[in-house]
Formats: sequence, C-alpha cells, structure tokens
Amino acid sequence: MEMESISENEYELFFGPAHPGSGNFSVRLKVDGERIVSARADPGYLHRGFEKLMEYRIPIQNAVLSDRICVLEPLNWNLVHAEAVDELMSIEIPERAKYIRVIMAELSRIQSHIIWYGVVSMGTGFDTGFKIAFGYRDYILDLFEMITGGRVYPAGYICPGGVRRDLPEGAEEKILKVLEKMEEMLEFEKMENPFHLDRMKDVGVLELKDAIRLGATGPVLRASGMKTDVRKDEPYEVYDKLDFEVPVRKEGDAYARYWIGLEEIQQSINIVKQALNNLPDGDFIAKEFKKPKLAIKIPEGEVYVRNEVARGEAGIYMASDGGTKPYRVKIRGPSFLHMIPVLEHLLKGAEIADVPAIYWSLNVCPADLDR
Amino acid sequence: MEKDVLNKISAKFEVEGKIQRKQRIWIKVDKEDLIDLCRFVKEIGFGHLSAISVTDWLKDGEYEVTYHLWSYKDKILLTLKTRIGRDDQNINSVVPIWGENAQIHEREMHEMFGVEFEGNNDLSPLFLEDWEGPPPFRKDFDWGKYVREKYYNKKNERENIYFEEV
Repeated sequence: MEMESISENEYELFFGPAHPGSGNFSVRLKVDGERIVSARADPGYLHRGFEKLMEYRIPIQNAVLSDRICVLEPLNWNLVHAEAVDELMSIEIPERAKYIRVIMAELSRIQSHIIWYGVVSMGTGFDTGFKIAFGYRDYILDLFEMITGGRVYPAGYICPGGVRRDLPEGAEEKILKVLEKMEEMLEFEKMENPFHLDRMKDVGVLELKDAIRLGATGPVLRASGMKTDVRKDEPYEVYDKLDFEVPVRKEGDAYARYWIGLEEIQQSINIVKQALNNLPDGDFIAKEFKKPKLAIKIPEGEVYVRNEVARGEAGIYMASDGGTKPYRVKIRGPSFLHMIPVLEHLLKGAEIADVPAIYWSLNVCPADLDR
Repeated sequence: MEKDVLNKISAKFEVEGKIQRKQRIWIKVDKEDLIDLCRFVKEIGFGHLSAISVTDWLKDGEYEVTYHLWSYKDKILLTLKTRIGRDDQNINSVVPIWGENAQIHEREMHEMFGVEFEGNNDLSPLFLEDWEGPPPFRKDFDWGKYVREKYYNKKNERENIYFEEV
C-alpha cells in the first residue's frame, strides 16, 4: 500500500500495526490537520484461517484450536465451540459440568475485562492503572493454571461433553479468595479518575440506531442504551438459574463503555459466587466422551450457537455431513464488527489524539476479528 | 412465538421452514425471493444481522449462503438459507437492508469463496494481501498442496518430509 498525498493539509496516517497500543491491526487515517476525515480498517495481520483448519480436524482437536480464536478470553471461545458440537451431537451435559463451565467462563470474562481496563488506562496515559490491572489478572491466571494446566491457553479445557477434568481439591476456597482480591481491585478501579474523565468523556459517541445498524453487540451496544445480553435473552448452560444484572448506560461515549466493563466485573464475581454455592456433585463429562475416542461421527445437521463473550456476541455456525469432522465452521467474532464498521464510523471526525481512547474503549481483539 | 413468526413469513412467501428448537427458525428460500423476504423480516423485527456465511457443497455443485438474523424484540434467531450454483456465483447484496454490517460480511465471503454480491460496491480484499490463488475456503482448494508447491522444495532433504502422503 502506498501513501498518497491529497492536498496541502491532508495526509495519510497509519495507526498500527507497529503502534504500541494497536495490537495486530492497523487503521489508515486520512487526516486534515488534526481532524480525521476518514478511516479505513486494514485487518489480516493475524489471519490464521481457523474456519478452514477446523474442517480438517475432529472436535477434540478443534477444542484446542478454539482457544486461539481470542488470546484474551480463550475459555469463552472454548465454550462456544463445545456448545456447537454438543448441540449437533445432542449430548446431555452433566449438571456439574455446566456449573464448572459457567465458573470458568465468568473467570475468563473477569480477566478479559481487567485487560480492557488496563489497556484503556495505558491508551489514555494512566500507566498505574495498566500495571495494577495486569498485576491482579495474574491471580486469575494462577487459578487457570491450577484448574486447566495452562495459564493463558487452557488447551480445550471446556471440551465437547463437559470439561476435561474436575476442579482440583481446594479449588473452591482458592477461587473465593481470588474473588476477594478482585473486589479489592474494583475499589481502586471505580475511583473517578481525571485521566479517564478528561480523555474519554463525550469522546467517540455511538448513537443507538447507528450501533444496531453497524452490528455492535455486547458492552458496546449496552453502553449506547440497549438492554441486551445473550446470557439473558437465550440462557445457555445454567445462566437461567443464576441471578445477575445487565448494566446499561445511555451516553454511548467511551467513558460509558469503560464503566460498563467495570460493572460487569462485579456481576461476574456475583455469578461465580452463586455458581460455587450451588455446585452439585456428579460427573464432569458426559459418558460418550469419558474415554477419548478418535472416530466419533457427528450426525448430519447444522446449528448456530450464540454466546455472550466478554466482547459481545460470539457465534459459531457448524454444519456436518455425517463424517467425523465438521463440514463447515463459521466463526462470528464480536470484534469483526466493532473493529471495522463501528471503528470507522467513530473515527470519522475525531481528533488524532482521541484515536487510542476510542479504539480501546471498544474492547477490541484483533485475534477474533481475523480468526 | 416461533410458530407465529413462521406463519407470518409463510403467509407471504413460498418457503420451506422448520422450527429447530426454542428460539431457532431455519428457512430455505429461492435466490429470486431472497431480497423481498429479507426486507419483510427486517420489518417484522429482525434488525440485527449476526452473520453471513457460505457453505461450499461440492457434491451438489452449489454454494449455500446463510443469513443469521436476530430479533431483539421477539428474541428469536432466524436463519435464511439460499442456494446458488457453483458456476453462477451471483447473488443480490443485502447491503441496502442491513447496511455496513452486511457490507463487511459480504466482503469477507467474497474473498473466501468468490461469491459475487451484486450491488455491494466494495468487495476489495480484506484479510489476504497479495493473494493470487483461488478463494481459499472453497472445498476444492487444497491448502496443503498449495503450500508444498509454493514454499517447499522436494529435493531439499530437510523439507521433503512435507511431501510424504499422510
């Protein structure tokens, strides 16, 4: 791609892929002085073709692959994939497995929102927030290491049929202790902070009608005033038995999105506590999957599974022709819409200095955009 | 609830629909009726386009384009499926109905499958830069073979392992 100069004041500017805050992603900005005339997203730096790779592998292998769809919340993507296979094969999931799945998914959501807080702070010049966030995130990574064996990638811990292994001894107490730490961190994060206020208030305002048209979901849509959450709208696993709130704000600016994230951490803490309280005894994996079998046939059919991951709506369309491998997998990542149409829309007319605040307030993940 | 929606649609259009489970409706529709049906379902509440996907049914010689739509009002996921021939890969774009959201999904599907969405004015490459091969997600594209031929040398003893049949 060549840079072309347009007029005396207009020029092109790259935000990413080598920007310290952009991740594996770039936006080409056409700028007039300090103001952005238009923006064009340039994704593809992390394209690994998971949809095609999954056509060549059996579900047990795909469970491991599904970690990598988003580096920042692998367990949530594990769950979407596992649910798609479960539904295609009509497997009854044991009650205990469902609760463990919810606990892990919510812990993963908490650590993902902590990263969100960290990178928003970094992008707006509040380095202390970044360091505190990543320090506290390590407590949850310790839990992941104890339960799944991997700190960041659980290697398909939530697999078709249930979860790969039971909670180890003493896990419940440890989780509760970590949740205490999270509440301690929230107290710090919820302090109103001039860094965040100055840089994000009234910046990047997304109106509700634009948000729906552009395909925004999850925290981004909720910050624009729409009360919607896949966990409430079509409860999967045991979310219908748990009591939690869906935080909504009306302003639609970067600051509102940032606050939605913090409020959701509190909700997730409540969910994990309830799930731990109600955790039943029993199997942690369905009997079909208890002994690992390689050649399990997936019955012919097709499903579309939706989940609420930390960034918004995640979907997997899976079709099978009766073989051992899925015939077609389509992965719908929330960042696909947030980072292309929504970001381009918000950057138009913004100032160069506001780009990081807008960009990170969308809770983006280049990995689930490119797949 | 699902029945009401399905009845509303089948009263106006000749479609083959089924209720898969709670909150899931699947509808097969002809390519010609697609745009009218999309307009209609948008009016009755399916305002959120969750995804557009293409499946390459090589045996039938057809592409199946699927539109996954969510209604915030009725809380139902509706999937529209339509088939187009592999040799005639044209289909009308739904950009006039769902806007930029549809635009970006169609752009991806065009890149990965080569389906031409008529009326979508920006189908430029999205993920793949300087790609000259066929659309890579087609079933008849063997990526293993492509990589071997393009990037490995059979005569190199450290690389010839990649040429062994698996």
